[in-house]
Amino acid sequence: MSGLLVKTNNSIRENLWRYFIVAIPYIWLLLFFLAPFVIVFKISLADPIIAQPPFTPLFNQGSDGGFSIYTTFDNFLYLFQDSLYFVTYLNSVKLAFIATLFTLLIGYPIAYGIARSPQPTRNILLLLVVIPFWISFLLRVYSWMGILKTNGLINGFLLWLGVIDQPLELLYTDTAVYIGMVYSYLPYMILPLYANLVKLDIRLLEAASDLGAKKWQGFVDVTLPLSMPGIIAGCLLVFIPAIGEYVIPALLGGADTLMIGRVLFDEFFLNRDWPVASAVAIVLLLLLVLPIVYFQKKQAQETSGAAA
Amino acid sequence: MMSNEENFIEINGVSKNFGEVVAVDNVDLAIKKGELFSILGASGSGKTTLLRILAGLEIPSQGSILIDGVDMTSVSPYDRPVNIMFQNYALFPHMSVFDNIAYGLKKEGMEKESIQEKVERMLALVKLEGYEKRKPNQLSGGQSQRVALARSLIKEPKVLLLDEPMAALDKKLRQSTQFELMDIHDELGITFVIVTHDQEEAMTLSDRIAIMEEGQFVQIGSPNLIYENPKSKFVADFLGNINLLEATITEQNDSQIVVNCAALGGELKFNQTEQSDALEMTVALRPEKVVIEKSKPTNDQQSHVKGIVEDFGYFGNLSIYRVRTESGHMIQVSKQNRDRVEQSIKWEDEVYLSWENDSLMLLGE
Repeated sequence: MSGLLVKTNNSIRENLWRYFIVAIPYIWLLLFFLAPFVIVFKISLADPIIAQPPFTPLFNQGSDGGFSIYTTFDNFLYLFQDSLYFVTYLNSVKLAFIATLFTLLIGYPIAYGIARSPQPTRNILLLLVVIPFWISFLLRVYSWMGILKTNGLINGFLLWLGVIDQPLELLYTDTAVYIGMVYSYLPYMILPLYANLVKLDIRLLEAASDLGAKKWQGFVDVTLPLSMPGIIAGCLLVFIPAIGEYVIPALLGGADTLMIGRVLFDEFFLNRDWPVASAVAIVLLLLLVLPIVYFQKKQAQETSGAAA
Repeated sequence: MMSNEENFIEINGVSKNFGEVVAVDNVDLAIKKGELFSILGASGSGKTTLLRILAGLEIPSQGSILIDGVDMTSVSPYDRPVNIMFQNYALFPHMSVFDNIAYGLKKEGMEKESIQEKVERMLALVKLEGYEKRKPNQLSGGQSQRVALARSLIKEPKVLLLDEPMAALDKKLRQSTQFELMDIHDELGITFVIVTHDQEEAMTLSDRIAIMEEGQFVQIGSPNLIYENPKSKFVADFLGNINLLEATITEQNDSQIVVNCAALGGELKFNQTEQSDALEMTVALRPEKVVIEKSKPTNDQQSHVKGIVEDFGYFGNLSIYRVRTESGHMIQVSKQNRDRVEQSIKWEDEVYLSWENDSLMLLGE
């Protein structure tokens, strides 16, 4: 009898412990993701006013003591009325997409080379990929200004070679933004690709070769399709932060480099129009989250379909 | 042009080094057309490296390989009339069974209809009709093995190489698959070269076996020849169970060698013309060639020793006894259980062991 009781007690304690462990990530997300999101969403439904804080409160206490709720969708409508926002969103997607593409084209061969190198060399190469993280991101972007500016390293070198006789306009252009983004986000592309490629069974390539595939055919038929999860992970890790990037376009881009991160910053800190800035953030989030959720659902369907 | 029936595959003085390690050491071998040939060895004996050299996945450090009279030594794997079935099958995980099997034909640029037809015929051969849409992770071990076999046969290679084809299957499945593999071999008439560490598998499947140790062949011959006439202690011990008993040469001349073997009760004569430099020899005796009985053998001509059963294992079809002889040596004996009666010989029983003298083999190192 008593033995049975002890057992149930233990299992209850075990269950509590299990709930606690499972709850940790949920609590984290609730506190640091959902709560801020709700606050930003609340602000996006308010009107801007010159006050502290600079937006109308959601709940108003009337003179008769009753509560009333004030919301407006003006901020969201405004985003659609002023074509600046649409153009900026589009331009952000374009810049992020091209930057992701170049990161993939440069990152894939690097990741492949690291995955194929012998064990001791591999660790050194991986370390080299990660080492830039030891220096502040801001400093690294600043140093690119030094490299790209009119009398910077690149122009100096090309002038010295005699390839050009006028310094090139590099800094404050879209090209500089691409260079900055590809440089900054390359490790986020290389690491997931490496993790995928290093698992690739060499015998699959040998089997392809044995069955008549030349080296490049083996790559196209076996390596590339099997590294698709790595490619997708790397592209998402680059594309998502790139689309909302603020520092790189602000420091390296020109006045005409329109990116949503910059607009967001300007609305918040220059116009002090928090409600519109919040609306910009919410729309950006939806633009990013919806395709990714759809994509993941489709992928999950595909995997479960294959297992059925 | 000369017929290459006898020397269909010719391996001439092939060596392969990996840095300091010599995996294959100056090996010569000729394999006949249509033969089912096994290379048997422990892990690290160099057998897989030799197979990979035949497939073109390794380039030999020295020597040459000829297949059907054509030098293949440095021909790329995709240009060889040879296909290999890998140990863990190496099926393409992202392709269906159909696409896996069709892969070799697609690389040849064959038309869709012919591919369809050939793959269907191959699926029938390996008894996998209806599985063409499955992915490799939806197949059992036995089914994966059949897909791998079909994939490596579809290009109708002159030689099929099989690297441990049965290693991933359980015992029951392994036996039935062995016979199916032999049927397929007979049907297609392709030369099979199998690498295995499993001596039973090699014995069942092969026309001939080469036993490999430390990068060299120690004996090549039919399963029967190698089992009954092993050249060395290593081969005798490697293939099946055997009693290896110490003996010392007491006398030798042009026609015979006389040894003293304490375990078998004294002097033994062997008709052997080859003389031995070393005096320490080994007398080998297979357990199934020893008769075990409780009463003294009536035939006085037959040699016998007396002993006590120390261990006894019942395997259903046969029983294995370990008998301590009066001289203190251990001899293993196996006995077919022909009758459905309770085992009459048990632990601690006093028994007599007898054997035909021509069952004994005299081996050097």
